[in-house]
Amino acid sequence: MPLTPSQPRYPRMPLLPMGCAPPGAGTRDALAPYGLCPPRCRYRGCPYSLWTVPYPRYRGCPCSLWAVPPRCRYPGMPLLPMGCSPPGAGTGGAPPRSRGAPVGAGLELRSAGRRQRLRGWREALPSETHVVLRGAAAARAWRRGAGLRSAAWSRFLPRGPAPRPLPLLPGGFALPRPPFYRALPAGLRARSLALGTEHVLLLGTGGDVHAWGGGRHGQLGHGTLESEAQPRLVEALAGVPMAAVAAGGWHSASVSEAGDLYMWGWNESGQLALPCKALAEERAQGEEAGAGEAGAGAAALSPCPEPPEAEATTFISIQALPALLDLPQEPEVSGVSCGSRHTAAVTRGGELYTWGWGKYGQLGHGDDASSDCPRRVEHLVAQGLWAEAVVCGPWTTYVCVREPPDPPSSTADCSEDPAAGTCLGPTLPSAPQDQTCSDSVPPEPNSEPQVGLQLHEG
Amino acid sequence: MAAPVGAEAPAAGPGALWAEVRALLPGTEGEFTLALSGEVDPCVRPLLRRARGLLYGAEGPAGGEAAALRRLGHVLRDYSWEKLNAGPWQEVSKAWRQVYTYGCLFGALAEISAGCPPVSAVRLCDMGLLMGASVLDNVLGRLVRVLQQHLPRERRGAAGLAAEKARPEPRPAPAVRPEEELPRLRCPSLESFRDKHLIPQKPVVLEGIMDHWPCMRKWSVDYICQVAGCRTVPVELGSRYTDEEWSQKLMTVDDFIGQYIVNEKSMGYLAQHQLFDQIPELKEDISIPDYCCLGEGEEEHITINAWFGPEGTISPLHQDPQQNFLAQVFGRKYIRLYSPQDSENLYPHESQILHNTSQVDVENPDLVKFPNFRKAAFQSCVLMPGQVLFIPVKYWHYVRSLDVSFSVSFWWS
Repeated sequence: MPLTPSQPRYPRMPLLPMGCAPPGAGTRDALAPYGLCPPRCRYRGCPYSLWTVPYPRYRGCPCSLWAVPPRCRYPGMPLLPMGCSPPGAGTGGAPPRSRGAPVGAGLELRSAGRRQRLRGWREALPSETHVVLRGAAAARAWRRGAGLRSAAWSRFLPRGPAPRPLPLLPGGFALPRPPFYRALPAGLRARSLALGTEHVLLLGTGGDVHAWGGGRHGQLGHGTLESEAQPRLVEALAGVPMAAVAAGGWHSASVSEAGDLYMWGWNESGQLALPCKALAEERAQGEEAGAGEAGAGAAALSPCPEPPEAEATTFISIQALPALLDLPQEPEVSGVSCGSRHTAAVTRGGELYTWGWGKYGQLGHGDDASSDCPRRVEHLVAQGLWAEAVVCGPWTTYVCVREPPDPPSSTADCSEDPAAGTCLGPTLPSAPQDQTCSDSVPPEPNSEPQVGLQLHEG
Repeated sequence: MAAPVGAEAPAAGPGALWAEVRALLPGTEGEFTLALSGEVDPCVRPLLRRARGLLYGAEGPAGGEAAALRRLGHVLRDYSWEKLNAGPWQEVSKAWRQVYTYGCLFGALAEISAGCPPVSAVRLCDMGLLMGASVLDNVLGRLVRVLQQHLPRERRGAAGLAAEKARPEPRPAPAVRPEEELPRLRCPSLESFRDKHLIPQKPVVLEGIMDHWPCMRKWSVDYICQVAGCRTVPVELGSRYTDEEWSQKLMTVDDFIGQYIVNEKSMGYLAQHQLFDQIPELKEDISIPDYCCLGEGEEEHITINAWFGPEGTISPLHQDPQQNFLAQVFGRKYIRLYSPQDSENLYPHESQILHNTSQVDVENPDLVKFPNFRKAAFQSCVLMPGQVLFIPVKYWHYVRSLDVSFSVSFWWS
């Protein structure tokens, strides 16, 4: 029975693989019964009051559930929508293996109906003119259409701890066009980086966001339309630790660890989910066009839940400071990606929301309407699919889906039926290493998500 | 201007229009070179070739090909539009602007071959003229001229007639004290203008040099509407460009006149637009002041802008990087000039975008916030129809229109 997205299993799971911990984690408090006492839960939404359990073994996880597997009510808890979970969680140490077709490590190139494995390469960063590939020891760039031997750029990468995802490289970041590499200031410790058409966003290890590059459309979030040559902290977000950042053509997004979505930049097609004048006028013209046209027009123009009046609303063309977004029913966002002029977000309940420019169907609602309100992609709900992650190309959206986990039964034995995940798009973020894994097989990037794939014995 | 056209679209329907339009294009596909002035992404040229193939394959309007051509036009325009918006306008590669023009051309041809009313094709041509770069010997300009013949006649001039209704008596102009008044000269010689005004950089009002321009006897709101009513132009909305709610919008001249000249529900100003490049028929009614030959630049580098708006349009105090002749065709404008030596007393904005603009509202200055403004000396005048104001380079100027007004400015160096 497919899980209805309106009742996600872990509605407010606060954890993330990025190392957050609630205040007071590790302090010794009276053990609270699992799943009860929300008034005593100091960490908003945590269903277990688990920070009462000291000595977490999993770095950053405030719950350390596997520390008490026999009593843990949620043995196979899929900790993170991004697909990492400590190996052996709930199973006693067997490394997870997927069912179905083995995928293994590496990249696969799919284009024009053909598929080609790229052996030895781990990650890709494409553009319309070039592609950058990163392997274990080097990063290289080719012009599209060029032979494999004539790389346009190459850079040796030192061996080191688990690498950060592209475009980050040791000491800087890669660009999918000449000059292919830019250094970062030495003091800036980056967790992830996102490239827009004219700007760059960097998420620091402390959850801080830096933005620089062209700023004429407010995409830097510093409150002005000035450009910045060097990384500059987005001060408006300084008090909120962020979990992820995404950059589109001329707009930016970031997700806080609590699941709130902030957006700023250009709103010319509603890609910030703020009222857009051009779309409002199109809607008004569509209504005026009358019955004949309006049949197609009204369907093509997405109605917002509360349609704003053209006179009363303040339309926003450029939002130069981060604005907090409210999705319908206020779910918590787990991931966001920005295309050229549209945005897509995945919630912790497995729903996919899209908004912005829709002329080429990139919003996934079955029409070509643009929208300045977030709309849930109903196709996934109808198919009973759980959205895990989303990545946007300039005019496309890729979503990684799987069968949803079964809802928890009332008994303590919580067995899941894992299903192989299907990835409908490019790379997923890599899972963090865990040195206690007995098999010492490092989790590969791009493998199928470990969430939901663990086999339970009994 | 035009050969007489039947009252409605030609009786032969879209076929005759298509034949005329087709004659504007090169005869064979081989002659239709998709030459671009630079490199573009590799995905673009196949799209251009495919669109060209659709044009030369079909023998006239054909349903399926028109839809495919329209689709290709959309993709080419959307893709190049993103490139046009990446980075400052001056740095946009000419090749991408040419791709945008091709996208508009193919889109307009698709509209025509599908039998749609010519207004949609005219709008596409205008988008290409505004943002693109000329290809195929300015094919869009030639195309728009053909399309204008085929527009239904009663559409033209509808709004202009309403503009001729009786207006309330013109408001009195602000008082100009004799010591502030700008000097006026009637047809000075080139040498005396150069020696007494250009070299010392002193502003002056010139009279009599516009007398022979056809626009002085031909132009009115109604005439503009007739000649250019269906054309799309950028209009500035909001009382002044330093305001937060200020924006620009593309609309036809008909709509602009109907909404902002006749009705004046809010402020709209067709300002700083190279209308005469877009609409050559209007360029024939003006000519370039002779004194521009005193500059070093070439005549084709002179930027000619149109300024057409209702009463009450305001250009905040600002300076321009070139010499300026501001020619008044109809309506009056109140203008104040401040010397560049007073720049510090005028409190220019700090930001790079507005660095040439003063923060002070000239006719209502906040002397608490800007105390030194009262020290700045100025000259002023009411520019009447037929007069031309010489504004030296970097001279601060503030302009407010007192009537429905049309001015033409010439930026030269």
